[in-house]
Amino acid sequence: MTERAPCGRAAKRFPPGGLDARRASRATLIILLAPALLLYAAFMLYPVLRTFWNSVHTIKPNNVPAFVGLDNFRELLGHDWVFWKAVGNTAIFAIVATIADVLGGLLLALALFSGAPFVRFLRVVWFTPVLMSYVVVGIIWVWIYDYDWGLANVILRAIGLGSLEQSWLGDPHTALWSVMATHIWKWLGFNMIIFLAALYALPADVLGAAELDNCGWFAKLIHIIIPMLRPTILNLTVLSFVGKMMIFDLVWIMTGGGPLWSTETVSTYVYKRAFDWNTFDLGYPSAIAVLWFLIILAFIFGLTQIMRQRDRLEF
Amino acid sequence: MNPLSAAKPFAGKSVAYPRRAPLAAFALIYTIVSGGPFLWVAMMSLRTTPEIFASPYALPSSIHWEKFVDAWTKSNYGTYFWNSTIVVVTAVALLTIIGAMVAHCLARYRFRGNRVVRFIVLSGLILPPQLMILSLFQILLEYRLYNTLTGLIIVYVAGHLAITVYILEGFFAQIPQDLFDAARLDGYSDLEIFWRITLPIGVPALFTTVTLNFIILWNEFLYAVVLLTEDDKRTLPLGIMHFMGNHQLDVGMVATGLMIAIGPVILLYAFFSETMIKGMTAGAVR
Repeated sequence: MTERAPCGRAAKRFPPGGLDARRASRATLIILLAPALLLYAAFMLYPVLRTFWNSVHTIKPNNVPAFVGLDNFRELLGHDWVFWKAVGNTAIFAIVATIADVLGGLLLALALFSGAPFVRFLRVVWFTPVLMSYVVVGIIWVWIYDYDWGLANVILRAIGLGSLEQSWLGDPHTALWSVMATHIWKWLGFNMIIFLAALYALPADVLGAAELDNCGWFAKLIHIIIPMLRPTILNLTVLSFVGKMMIFDLVWIMTGGGPLWSTETVSTYVYKRAFDWNTFDLGYPSAIAVLWFLIILAFIFGLTQIMRQRDRLEF
Repeated sequence: MNPLSAAKPFAGKSVAYPRRAPLAAFALIYTIVSGGPFLWVAMMSLRTTPEIFASPYALPSSIHWEKFVDAWTKSNYGTYFWNSTIVVVTAVALLTIIGAMVAHCLARYRFRGNRVVRFIVLSGLILPPQLMILSLFQILLEYRLYNTLTGLIIVYVAGHLAITVYILEGFFAQIPQDLFDAARLDGYSDLEIFWRITLPIGVPALFTTVTLNFIILWNEFLYAVVLLTEDDKRTLPLGIMHFMGNHQLDVGMVATGLMIAIGPVILLYAFFSETMIKGMTAGAVR
């Protein structure tokens, strides 16, 4: 057995018998790591590689997969208008809902931070939608948007704005925005909790000093609180944006991508092409999934890079 | 009263008061907006569909508990509930123990390949389910795990290992090394150290990941909808969707189903709200 340098040094520091608690025998490591690594290899890495492989093939049931090179991607980028419609919808969703989530969460956190009564109770209630499944939330809001007896139209009629009543999910002009409103409603509480923790962590002496300087509430918010919350804001923006790039559940439950593709997102389109359309080809939807994953990856790296540069410039 | 403070009504603390009323009003409105829909469903779950259509927003006039019995036995919600329970409890237990094993290794031991293992496991944080779902469908078909609860459990464990390890490792790394040195001197074996030191001390972190995984898996929809199609295998979210699809107009019964799905979550939340809030937001702040 050849000795490696670090082992030799460790052996000198500790009496023989392996007393260094930073080291474990190979057997221990294998016992502790093997289940996770085997699961990972079989049910994460292999599926990912297989999706990449799928994306350059045509795969029909009971047929040998046929290699088609980049044809799937060419078709996708050049001729598939439903895909581009889905990309547009997903982009609108990701951008608008992210901004609303972050600003709304900040607003709720500030309301609690600046002394609303019953803070402990309110944050618990306001967080409740985060815990509920998309199925529960989706069905409740399908009812709220119902044309005849849904709460949205009932309220509009009650306050004399009956002319504004809509078939919220049935009209291509309002469907995407209605689903988006539900999504924002579900996640506001999440952002609120993160902001609230960040607000409580702000140094009290800085806020106190601002008060002594007779700094108004709004000025304090703009000049002191928001700049100090910047890392939290950027963090939540990335998290929320990336999550919405992949949105599937709520759209699938509330509208199924309809009416007239007005709420189709990239993920619902992948699902439809794989399981609902009678093309029965897993290669083409795999190509969509691969392309979209690469775009998300580019966004993650791009956004984190921008954040780092900004930080460097400021300090 | 001090005449000076009366003369300057906007000085000092009095400035806070004009703001209080709008703030309280805002708080009240948002409380209704965020909590109201659940109260509404709770009321509808106790009313029959004709009652609901007569007046959707009325309080229950007579309470129909028997709807829960109906839902449980006649509408198959009992099966859905047990499927969900089996899947979630098994997956969370496996995730906790396997995740803790990996987190303990990464946080405690220096070994060759440490960085590679960490990179592989944590890469799961940025791999979206959408990227794997189509090939997992093929793979589970080939392994005869398609349409089985076992298959779904395995997929859940693999998919949530990354976030579990990520949270646990952060906590385990903060346990003082002295404890482990002392245990080693006392003659504890590696596995005893894991079992008798890391796990008991790590209980708060384990609670966090258990809560997070429980909520997310209880609510999970995408994997389940692709990997399960038989009615007696469906989990609660799928079962409700299926029931909704077949009985669109039976609003009362759907509401009862919704209450069965959110009941356990609400019950846990009533007792452990702080743990659950902490758990759900644990992975977010990096």
